Amino acid sequence: MMERVSVDIGGTFTDCFLVWGDQYVSAKALTTHQNLALGFNAALGQAIGQLDLSLEQVMGEVDSVRYATTLGTNALIERRGPTIGVITTAGFESSVPLSRGRGYGEGLPDRFRKDLPMAQRPEPIVPIPLIAGVRERLSEKGEVIMALDKEDVRSQVRKLVDRGAQAFVVSLVNSVVNPAHELRVEELIRSEYPEHMLGSAPIILAHLVAGRKGEYARTSSAIVDAFLHKAMYLGLSTLELNLRDNGHERPMQVVHNSGGMAQLNSTDALQTLHSGPVAGIGASEHLAAETDLGNVVCSDMGGTSFDIGLVVEGGVKFYDFNPVIDRWMVNIPMVHLVTLGAGGGSVARYDRLRRTVAVGPESAGSDPGPACYDKGGRDVTVTDADLILGYLEPDNYAGGQIALSEKRATSLFQRNIGKPLDIDAVAAAKLVKQKVDNDMANGIAQELRARGYEPANFTLLAYGGNGALHACGIADAIGIKKVLVPPFSAIFSAVGAGNMDQLHIHERSVYLQIYDSVTRALLSDFDGFNAIVEQLEERGRQDLVRQGYAEDEIEHRLELDMRYGNQLAQTAVVVGQNRITRNRELLELIALFGRDYGKRFGEGSQAPEAGIRINTVRVASFVRAPKLAFSKVLPDPETLRPAPEPEVRKFCHFIGRDEPTDTGFYRLDSLSPGHVVEGPAVVISESTTFLVEPGWRLSVGEYGAGWLERQDIIGEAE
Amino acid sequence: MTLDSNELPGSENPETGDEGVSEFLRDTSLFLAPDPLIMNNHGMEERTALEDRSLAAETDPARLEIVRERLLAGANESFDMLESMGAAPGAKWGDCVSAIFTASGDLSLASTGGVVIFCNLVQYPIKFINKYWTGEPTVGVREGDAFLVNDARYGQAHNTDQSMMMPVFWDGKLVAWVGATVHEGENGAIEPGGMPSMAEQVWDEGLKMSPFRVAENYTLRRDIVTFLQNSVREPKLQYADMKVKMFTCRRLEQRMHEAISEFGLEAVVACLRSNLEDTDVEVRKRLKEWPDGTVRHSWWTDGTLRENAMIKINLALTKKGDRLIFDYRGSSPEFTNRSNNSLDITLKGMLAQLFLTYIWPDLPRNQGVLAPIEFIFDERSILKPDFGTPNAQSMMSVFTSWSVAQVCVMKYLYSVPDKYTRVIAPWFNMINTFLFGGVTQHGEMVGNVCADINGMGGGALSDRDGQHSCAPIFATMADLGEQEFMEEEMPFVQLVSKKLMKDNQGFGRQRGGMGYQMILALRDSPVWGFMLTAIGSKFPNVPGLFGGYGCPTYPLCRISNVDVFETMQSDPSQFRFSIEELMNERPFPEGKYSTHPMFMPYSLAERGELYMIAQGTGGGFGDPLERDPEEVMRDFHEDLVSEDVAWRIYRVVFDPETRIVDEDATRLARDEARAERLAQSMSFDDYCAEFVTEKPPAHLPYYGSWEDPAMVYAGSPDRYYPAGQVNPPVIMPNPLEVKIARLERELAEARRG
Repeated sequence: MMERVSVDIGGTFTDCFLVWGDQYVSAKALTTHQNLALGFNAALGQAIGQLDLSLEQVMGEVDSVRYATTLGTNALIERRGPTIGVITTAGFESSVPLSRGRGYGEGLPDRFRKDLPMAQRPEPIVPIPLIAGVRERLSEKGEVIMALDKEDVRSQVRKLVDRGAQAFVVSLVNSVVNPAHELRVEELIRSEYPEHMLGSAPIILAHLVAGRKGEYARTSSAIVDAFLHKAMYLGLSTLELNLRDNGHERPMQVVHNSGGMAQLNSTDALQTLHSGPVAGIGASEHLAAETDLGNVVCSDMGGTSFDIGLVVEGGVKFYDFNPVIDRWMVNIPMVHLVTLGAGGGSVARYDRLRRTVAVGPESAGSDPGPACYDKGGRDVTVTDADLILGYLEPDNYAGGQIALSEKRATSLFQRNIGKPLDIDAVAAAKLVKQKVDNDMANGIAQELRARGYEPANFTLLAYGGNGALHACGIADAIGIKKVLVPPFSAIFSAVGAGNMDQLHIHERSVYLQIYDSVTRALLSDFDGFNAIVEQLEERGRQDLVRQGYAEDEIEHRLELDMRYGNQLAQTAVVVGQNRITRNRELLELIALFGRDYGKRFGEGSQAPEAGIRINTVRVASFVRAPKLAFSKVLPDPETLRPAPEPEVRKFCHFIGRDEPTDTGFYRLDSLSPGHVVEGPAVVISESTTFLVEPGWRLSVGEYGAGWLERQDIIGEAE
Repeated sequence: MTLDSNELPGSENPETGDEGVSEFLRDTSLFLAPDPLIMNNHGMEERTALEDRSLAAETDPARLEIVRERLLAGANESFDMLESMGAAPGAKWGDCVSAIFTASGDLSLASTGGVVIFCNLVQYPIKFINKYWTGEPTVGVREGDAFLVNDARYGQAHNTDQSMMMPVFWDGKLVAWVGATVHEGENGAIEPGGMPSMAEQVWDEGLKMSPFRVAENYTLRRDIVTFLQNSVREPKLQYADMKVKMFTCRRLEQRMHEAISEFGLEAVVACLRSNLEDTDVEVRKRLKEWPDGTVRHSWWTDGTLRENAMIKINLALTKKGDRLIFDYRGSSPEFTNRSNNSLDITLKGMLAQLFLTYIWPDLPRNQGVLAPIEFIFDERSILKPDFGTPNAQSMMSVFTSWSVAQVCVMKYLYSVPDKYTRVIAPWFNMINTFLFGGVTQHGEMVGNVCADINGMGGGALSDRDGQHSCAPIFATMADLGEQEFMEEEMPFVQLVSKKLMKDNQGFGRQRGGMGYQMILALRDSPVWGFMLTAIGSKFPNVPGLFGGYGCPTYPLCRISNVDVFETMQSDPSQFRFSIEELMNERPFPEGKYSTHPMFMPYSLAERGELYMIAQGTGGGFGDPLERDPEEVMRDFHEDLVSEDVAWRIYRVVFDPETRIVDEDATRLARDEARAERLAQSMSFDDYCAEFVTEKPPAHLPYYGSWEDPAMVYAGSPDRYYPAGQVNPPVIMPNPLEVKIARLERELAEARRG
């Protein structure tokens, strides 16, 4: 019997998901930044209360407690961290301040990237005076061009200490192929400032944080890691201590942005960033597999942003190799995630050029928030449009916590948009809904098509506070005909944390020509290649054995980033076989790469004639953990039956209909699995609102899941 | 499959009144050179019948916006493909673009990322294809065709770029075009890397592809690919990137087809056309907000890339109502046997970039932005050279012309209440980077350019400093790349890589964004050479704004007769990590230290000798004496300015140990500096009487107008001609022959005793 607790600690709420045998319950509490354990205990207390269990019983019996958290991202945005001194190769001191030139626009919407007079790099985490170059240099193969000057190192370290460094990042050029100089610098720092001394500063070696080449992104990764190290350690170790105090003896598990989890003692701070949204994608993957949904595009629409992730059949993994955290490019492999500036709070305005409306990326946030919050906000938002169109209940929004003013929303809509376009507020609100749905749909389409997939072959998984409200509109815009609002959609990342495997990823940059187009020769040094794989597997194995797993439980997945000629494109190929011993296997690898590449860029676009290279060897080492059962999430077709008549009917406005339409309003808790609601309809739960648009129907599944289908395909099926 | 030729304005027969003669002349042309009717029209083509019908049928702006967003998503997707799949270094750092054009060839929608000038210029070859190849029985335009062009005279920024164009058909009719452009680099020119400064004729500039079909039925023709591979130093690059561009176009074509299927042909056509017309209307509205008047500005480039010279770029910018007129008359005459000439279309394309990035970055990226703008050039000038005049290094004149325009426009914008971005001092504008060519450590023959081209410093604003090495003037979100990747593929090492260079600053109340220094050396190649193709070692490339300083001048520094890699092994303490220390302290006893202009023809390099240059800074804004002393101290703390500059330029009195400013002493020093200025001042008339001469000085090789823009000098005070009528044309002697003649003269003099 599975007993498990998983938690997603966000900036505002701590979400908790408790599995107790075949019972699944969720709870929410405010995040308590001063002591995360308090918020956790409150959320867990609520969950336990639903099952009439005691804290000691739950803590003593659960197999694991798992955390996903966005705390690191918040700490980064709020600049809460130590003063860091960076030691780099002399001559490369400006790599970080210059951020590859493009750093001015990383993490910003296109509108700001296109505007060079407004270009401004973010306030640096490490200012220029805290970056010191040391005399040394390694070649691209790791040969010593210039030996490390130890006296220079000591002198530079002293300078950084004098300038207030509380932590060190050591990031030397080409250290991923030969870390000797970085290790020596660490020894020298420790010899000057021994670890047992009070005030001893932590030292982060860049090659241990990121194993790939790219001196800027690697240094940036190490800086972010060092900056968050202490805050994350303190925050998470407090939680671990809290667990022990409450009787949970096992090590706490922390969700990683690589799509797995590990104990706290095997986790870098950098690996925890964006782990909440990544956990949501992990949950989607599991849900898709359990319910045979096939390809799934996950979408999380909240108040300010819209996150998109992909899950496709066949185990293909999508990574961001250079993800941007806040405004900083790093180079760790992170599960691919795209964030658009579209949410309920996105500001709508008149677009003079187009004679229509534009939406976002600016957000009204929660204070003053949308106009309808009546807190002084003068910008109109997507939420105001949803209210004007009749989809939201003014007295029952967010579980009744926020009263909405339809009058204010209408008045400002009329002034900001209706007047310049010479239309009424309802027509303006329709334009806004249409625009934001299309923007999000285009974001999804671009993500899928850039990887060779068609939206029509996907199911949209819609979660987050506004996901169920806009899902039909988004799907309609790009030809998606099936939408699943998953169970526990308001705490879906916490659900995802409950499904993770133990996983560690190790990777290494290589320059391996497996087909050299100049000499027309195939790779022959199989032993060299296999030795690299073995080395990476060994590192993963050690990580897992250290955490108490038996060697025979450990599996390894080999992934190779490959490219033709001198391209930038790196296609991550998941290789079935972890060793190459003969040419036939090499040719199979080339064919596999060709298939993946052709799918992404078009059949025939492959260019093996230009040569084929492996750039990165990556090994994911993991131990499979038992998964949650979600098979009943989709309603059983045999049990489908019309929902009872709604208690309330109202007139709502829909795109494509000139007149308001009589629309039934349901309470989700009054419906049961198998109930079918034909659109147009609105179904309200504590945490979200389902908008079943005309042409769609909703079937209710287990745990509050909603299965939305276009009525025309239901007809086809029948 | 047929084309409706009535819907292609470029293919209409001119009404000559004598039908037979017209047809004879049309059918009996020897060579289809670029067509002046096409090349001289940077505005939009007339609406076609289909566009008329579509705009009448599709009147809902909201619906057109949805179509537009869909098409833009397709363009962005194809741009991502281009960047990811491209093998050229330029593709990897964003020096590429993809775009959608109307059936007539007008650029309607460019990808959000990438270089606008590239696709702005692709309108011309598309119009050429429409006019000449559509009805040509030996060519034709069919579904699945792809055309390639690189000759700037038919519509490219320079010959190193290659654009592929693919027609989009629907129900057998041409309804649009899509295109993809990449700065490819190597093109078989007289020097490797695609931008030959040694080119004396257009035939020295490498591949000269007029628009021609390279693919049929979505398949590249192997015979043509082989011919092109055989014509360049990098056959792998030529092959790989032709394939990349074709699949990029194909993806965009597919997205067009999907949009037409979903929204209907009329919606898509109306969207493409209204994009252009809406932008035109909006630009006219915004121009009306500017004050009427004329603003003038001149600047000079200091060389042809073969010899030093003062080459004038002259601009009078007139705004009247909703018209804006760029009058470049009085600029230098063309250099008939040098590559530093720019085609007028190149400058127009660059100015589109100016408006869409620095003035109205919120506008959609299409050519409608230039429709209300007029241009005037002298014929056979450096900005409108003859057909046979080389232009491979057009950047040497076009970038300066662009900066001159930026200064003029900023003066207007300063007075405009509704701005769409900020007033900014000139961005640095020169390609201070190395080109290279030779055999890599992997045995591959290559020829291309370093990504350091993208590290130009940003100009200062009224209330904040410019951004250090941020972006090239012609692109946003370009990438400086990572040195570790470069070293994996190339045999040279940057020992100092993109390190900000002390005192390399456009001084001002707000200073310009600074540029970095680069010190590199060849390490592991059987044969390798570098070249450098920049100006600005004698006369600065950009000015400041409203009292701010321009950028400094930059030389190329070299240390030869040394193998720095051996020295680093035997006595590493000898090496210094800055140009300043290496050149001033001269730590290698056997080394030969020299400085040069920023142009260096392709020269073979020896292992371990050092090549050193700096990227430039953006212009400063306002008087340096008004700079907050604490800002000066911040720069001092960051080792960006020396104690000397803090005093001489900014007049800050401080303790260098503590960086504590003596505020009273600073105020006094600044008051004294202002008093000195006043003491040196004179009336305008006195100034003219003392400094203004009738002619340029005899010792100065001067090109362009002096006072009257209708008259230009052509290298000396006695060569003075009406603009556009310089005869004999400017033909420069071979610098090597000049040097030999000088040496022979010196030898003869020495022999004479």
